[in-house]
Amino acid sequence: MPVDILDVGSGNISSIQNWIERANVSTRIVTKSTGIKSDLLILPGVGSAGSYMERLKKGGFDQAILEHVDKGKRLLGICLGFQLMGLSSEEDGGVEGLGILNGSVTKLDLTLSHNSWENFKFNRDDLCDQSFNSNRKLTRKKKIDGRVFFNHEYGFLNQDENVFNKSISPEYAKYSSMVVKDNIIGIQFHPEKSQRTGLELISMIL
Amino acid sequence: MRIGATVLLIDGQCYQSYGWLKMRPLGCLEHVIEILDEYQCDEISIIRPVRYGDSLVSLAQDLAVLKNINTMTPLSFGGGLRSKESLQMLGDSPVERLVFSSAFLNKDATLIKHAVDLFGHQAIQCLLPCKMEDGRLMVYACDKGEFILSENVDFDFIDKWANEIIYHDVLNEGLNNAFDFTLLDNSIFHHSRIIISGGIGHANIKIANEKLCASVLIDNKVLHKECSIKGYRNA
Repeated sequence: MPVDILDVGSGNISSIQNWIERANVSTRIVTKSTGIKSDLLILPGVGSAGSYMERLKKGGFDQAILEHVDKGKRLLGICLGFQLMGLSSEEDGGVEGLGILNGSVTKLDLTLSHNSWENFKFNRDDLCDQSFNSNRKLTRKKKIDGRVFFNHEYGFLNQDENVFNKSISPEYAKYSSMVVKDNIIGIQFHPEKSQRTGLELISMIL
Repeated sequence: MRIGATVLLIDGQCYQSYGWLKMRPLGCLEHVIEILDEYQCDEISIIRPVRYGDSLVSLAQDLAVLKNINTMTPLSFGGGLRSKESLQMLGDSPVERLVFSSAFLNKDATLIKHAVDLFGHQAIQCLLPCKMEDGRLMVYACDKGEFILSENVDFDFIDKWANEIIYHDVLNEGLNNAFDFTLLDNSIFHHSRIIISGGIGHANIKIANEKLCASVLIDNKVLHKECSIKGYRNA
């Protein structure tokens, strides 16, 4: 079954599509809330939080995403898509999130923005009680030791102890780089633009 | 500090520009991006060097080429993004960040706000093609096809709307280790938001690193294997 990618009219959909298809898995662009059929839905995100959330609500996508998750199907949020899975965001004067993850989004306090490559070391065994719930078994690899690309001005503050939470870096320790909870995966960096590391990660996730 | 590359795109083909005047053809965009991908270049800035007027037809032709690119390297794109229509045309292109020049010099807040809605504030870069003349900073206004004094540029507007600012040295582009750091002397922007471009070489990268610049964009000579990105990382 192809992976569904939600398109609400913002950028970088084709990059996400290329990323998934490089792992030899087909994709489908979903432009209607009734169009979500796959076991794995990707919520990409570039744009401003207010405008993006408005488009989600206008198209009825917010409810469709919640129903998808309630059915136990997988959801992968990337960058803004990840941030909007939380309870709220400070961006655009305050935006209510989807409330799928227990965390909030605040303006980065160290710098105006974080536009940088960071080291990314990950061992699938570190997920402990959590899992990517991958069903395609594309790789037997357990460890990733590479680098990933960040481009954001707001960061996700995780408030749930019962999830797998990986921080961005020692400098941005309080902000999440990746959160995994049951059937939900949130990624702050751009895996689709993280070259080899992005490919290794998607092979594990799929 | 990120180490990226600048790629000029004209009519679907890539060029290296020298001194803002001469263009050396480098081949098709797909091939150029493939090579930069192989070098694990940190980012690629694809610029259409539009001077004077531009048309949506011409933009559409270049975007058609861009949309065929399958890369996992971060891309920024600019040149000719002067209307909402032009932004809508970017819809399914593989770019995360947008580069504006004329829109900033003309203080087109409506257009930039629209871009922020679609791509986010973190995605907005301001390109300042500039040179020093008699000790004064001159900025090239692409839509007018002429240099203007920096006194006529509203840097506060740029500060508000841009996430990062690209200082492109138009006199020294295409040369080696020739970037003129005096361009940054009176900049109001924190260096962590500044990207330098034009004439970048190993020594320039070392200085930019010491100044804590956000990124350097190396001219297209990175396409030559002997000048690969790896070498610049150890600058």
